[in-house]
Amino acid sequence: MEFEANRQRERIMRMSEFELVPARKQIETLYLEGVYVGKCKTGGYVKLLFQLESFYVEIVYLSYRLAIQKIRCSDSTTILDEYLEQIEIEYLVG
Amino acid sequence: MLNTTKLKNIVFYADDDTDDLELVQDAFSRYTTNVEVVTAKDGVQALSYLKTIDHYTPAPCLIILDINMPMLGGRDVLKKIKEMPALASVPVVLFTTSSSNLDKEFAKKYDAGFITKPLDISQMQMITELFVEHCSDEIKNNIRKRLQ
Repeated sequence: MEFEANRQRERIMRMSEFELVPARKQIETLYLEGVYVGKCKTGGYVKLLFQLESFYVEIVYLSYRLAIQKIRCSDSTTILDEYLEQIEIEYLVG
Repeated sequence: MLNTTKLKNIVFYADDDTDDLELVQDAFSRYTTNVEVVTAKDGVQALSYLKTIDHYTPAPCLIILDINMPMLGGRDVLKKIKEMPALASVPVVLFTTSSSNLDKEFAKKYDAGFITKPLDISQMQMITELFVEHCSDEIKNNIRKRLQ
């Protein structure tokens, strides 16, 4: 049983599979396994971006860390652009 | 600039993300009668405050540190805290966006707690309880007793 559970955990989740699981499970998976990429503020929304396996997952908040408006997945690196624009370069070079 | 509210048990929280600072302050608002939240916006500011603590200044009952902060990160602040006799016994929690095992091991090595920042309200509701759980039994009872 335990071996089977570990084997399930180790199996790589595809983006198409992640998109099909309920939002609650998506959040749990991101919380436990997601790698935080960045945060950005745009159009009155705060967004957090995570990398999960070989794709990205973006959480768009109505209220930061409290109320989620939507969860969006992408396997394209263009999703990073908005986040890269908001990195405060002085911290990196200072 | 350090921001304080005049209350009894001091929870010290350092994070460069002002949204997270506000969120944690709000989370502790249910304990406002007996918890004072003191905040700092980076590791240097955090250490400046913590270095002022001596026998005559009340030490925090809990120190919460973000890991990735400008100037000086939470890992370095934690190492410095463990070298400070006045603070060596104060519980410290690393509060971070990370869920990496390396960061968890680092926290363990320096006898600190580790909490990944919440992603939604259900996780957020548990956060203050998790923080309070890291305090000493006396402080924990004091905070919870006054809440009843």
